[in-house]
Amino acid sequence: MNMARVRGSVVAAARSDGVEHPRFLLVEECDQAGSGRGEWLVALDLVGADRGQLVLLAQGSSCRWTYETDDKPMDTLVVAIVDRMDSGGVDTWKAE
Amino acid sequence: MVLARVRGTVVSTHKSEGMEGLSLLLVEKVDPVTMKGKGDFVVAIDSVGAAPGEVVFFVTGSSARMTATTKGKPSDATIIAIVDAVEKDGAFTYRKGETE
Repeated sequence: MNMARVRGSVVAAARSDGVEHPRFLLVEECDQAGSGRGEWLVALDLVGADRGQLVLLAQGSSCRWTYETDDKPMDTLVVAIVDRMDSGGVDTWKAE
Repeated sequence: MVLARVRGTVVSTHKSEGMEGLSLLLVEKVDPVTMKGKGDFVVAIDSVGAAPGEVVFFVTGSSARMTATTKGKPSDATIIAIVDAVEKDGAFTYRKGETE
């Protein structure tokens, strides 16, 4: 799963996705320390992520393997909020 | 999903049978910070009635076949939403009808 930082939100009333009460977040792909890479995506939030948090994205057809998105046209999902991550024994990320 | 602005329409009279009746739009991916185009264009099938100038987001890959419009159709990029607002760090970078 790719890592991303939550930067904001996206509002859209006219939609064809059939998802009930969706929450769309503006996320920026990032490295293991949470530094943004300038690549932005709109992601459906399933976990109640907030601005600044480091999250994990499910992308592609795997996105449809949740109750909310079964058979729905979704290709980017926030599926987890990262509390802590380390690389080689050194913390790269710690949630506040 | 990818944010993009609808730049134009695409006409094709000679196309795969499954694509008949589908509306093709030319979209340019946008940077959500500046809302400027990134010079990266794709043709996407419209499932929401988007018009040139509007900001939308689209899905790619197999997810593009999951709308009522594109079910069973050979689409790999489908517009699924017309964007009303984009918010970053608590401030709007885009509001429909206010910005270009």
